[in-house]
Amino acid sequence: MAVERLVVVDRTAFLHRPDYRVVRVLALLGLVVGWELVTRTGWVSSLFLPAPSGVLAEGLDMARSGQLFVHLMTSLERLAWGFGVGAVAGVSVGVAVGFFALADAVVQPIIAATFPIPKIALLPLLILWLGIGEASKVAVVALGVFFPMAINTYAGVRQADPLLIRAAVSFGAGRWSVIRKVILPSALPMVFAGLKLGAGTALLLLVAAEQIAADAGIGFLILQSGNLMETTKLMVGIVVLSLLGVASYWALGALERAVIRWRHT
Amino acid sequence: MFLTRLRGLVALAVALMTGLAVVAIAGAQSTPVPRPVPGATKIGVLKLTSSAPIFVGVEKGFFKEFGVEPELVYFQAAAPIATALAAGQLDVGATGLTAALYNIVLGGEKLWIVADKGREWPGYPLVAIVVQKEAWDGGLRSIKDLKGKRIGVTQLGSTFHYHIGNILEKDGLHLSDVKIVPLQAMAATVEALKGKQVDAILVPQPFPGAAEAQGFGKILAWAGDLYPWQIATVFYSDKLATDRARAVAFMKGYVKASRYYFDAALVQKDGRAAHGANYDEVVEITARYTGARLEIIKLGFPFQDRNGRLLVPDIERQMSWWVANGFMKKTLPLKALVDTSFVEEAVKGLDR
Repeated sequence: MAVERLVVVDRTAFLHRPDYRVVRVLALLGLVVGWELVTRTGWVSSLFLPAPSGVLAEGLDMARSGQLFVHLMTSLERLAWGFGVGAVAGVSVGVAVGFFALADAVVQPIIAATFPIPKIALLPLLILWLGIGEASKVAVVALGVFFPMAINTYAGVRQADPLLIRAAVSFGAGRWSVIRKVILPSALPMVFAGLKLGAGTALLLLVAAEQIAADAGIGFLILQSGNLMETTKLMVGIVVLSLLGVASYWALGALERAVIRWRHT
Repeated sequence: MFLTRLRGLVALAVALMTGLAVVAIAGAQSTPVPRPVPGATKIGVLKLTSSAPIFVGVEKGFFKEFGVEPELVYFQAAAPIATALAAGQLDVGATGLTAALYNIVLGGEKLWIVADKGREWPGYPLVAIVVQKEAWDGGLRSIKDLKGKRIGVTQLGSTFHYHIGNILEKDGLHLSDVKIVPLQAMAATVEALKGKQVDAILVPQPFPGAAEAQGFGKILAWAGDLYPWQIATVFYSDKLATDRARAVAFMKGYVKASRYYFDAALVQKDGRAAHGANYDEVVEITARYTGARLEIIKLGFPFQDRNGRLLVPDIERQMSWWVANGFMKKTLPLKALVDTSFVEEAVKGLDR
């Protein structure tokens, strides 16, 4: 006896989101090729928009002479300090505020009042307090990282499943044990989300800070090239920034997968 | 009710769009004051005393006399004028010679240095080296004492940067013996001295006088006394340079204005200023166009050639210095960016 086949149309087909990997690559390639063509044909002057090939050549040139690394390392050092200080302070404050009601009462209103201030606006003040050296640049980056970290950590801590906490307590866990073994691990995804947000902010503020009274760094390179109308060098700086952004996002993602293993296996 | 609201919306949209356009233009070339005149020759200038010959030419109708309708476009810094000129947004630029300008020509754009628009010259106060009062009291009294100090300038590659570098070299020092701090704007440079973020700054009049008057700064020297050079010139866009008749006509007006300015404000007798009959008029015009007070304008006018002739060899020297210090990749042949034929033809065509 023949089985009767019924053709069913998948009416949710439009909801499927295919990956289109080829298109992703093509889109990026298309942008670069189009950009190259626009300047090659002389449609746009290469002074105002240097061709990608020129930018690449200039970048290699600067790498060979070592000046690119001087700028890059200076920026990375400032980023590392600012990001490190901001992240540690942000996580500590976030955990404290999330866990202790008294800390919450003290810090919450202060954060609410200071968080909306654009940190770039504080730069002139920081320069007045800390001078035009490294300290003011690191401080502005740290401030920029601190707030998303503190707020995200706080949210992560508050989101810890009460059921898990109660279970831990009923198994005899003490206060510190609960924080360390239940609350912190469950806050980690939010902490990493904060780190990713902070990385973007850190890059933004670093460039702004390096445009005032610096003598090295990617932000300085961009400013100086702009002042000197060396647009190819300027584009090198911008490309390096974009690569830094991609690299930090990728590195934080890798770190997240390594630290929060239970989430990804 | 509905109509008013609609009109309000349209107004808002228009305001937003013009706002965006203004921001876009401002980003590219600082803030010009829109005063469109069809067929006018657009001149990019700074609101500084050193723009006086241009202001005199506009005010006294010298450009119009030769059939050129001038339109002033104001900028905040010298380098953006060169950019706007290369981009074809201006016909004439009248401002300082920066590394940016040379790099624009090096980058393949065309513009022409055509006439003198101000020199750093002994006896004519323009830019000063101002040191912090405390440093002065502590014994910072000569160029040699600047070794190891932080010196504030507006931008790297600016005329100030060039000037301090050459002054240092004259006294056996080098740019690398000091720390040059770029502070972007003149007001910020003065503030940095006031806030003791830097030990010395280079700023043009009237800032040095103001710093001394307020007591936080001391004028170490007038930069032009230590190292004279061709700091500012008149530039033509390539478009204007190929429009020979208009280019020469503009230059005739400019040379006439330059002579008027020179005779009124620059003549010296036995090392002392001997002002001409039109001095007060030139001061008044300059004060009105720059928005500065009369007594500030009277502090001094920068020197320039009476006929607007360039110090051509200095252009070559400037490029060599920028190259030697790593702010330019290579020097350009003079014929790629200097054209003195306009000023020569104009001088020949005018009597006196």
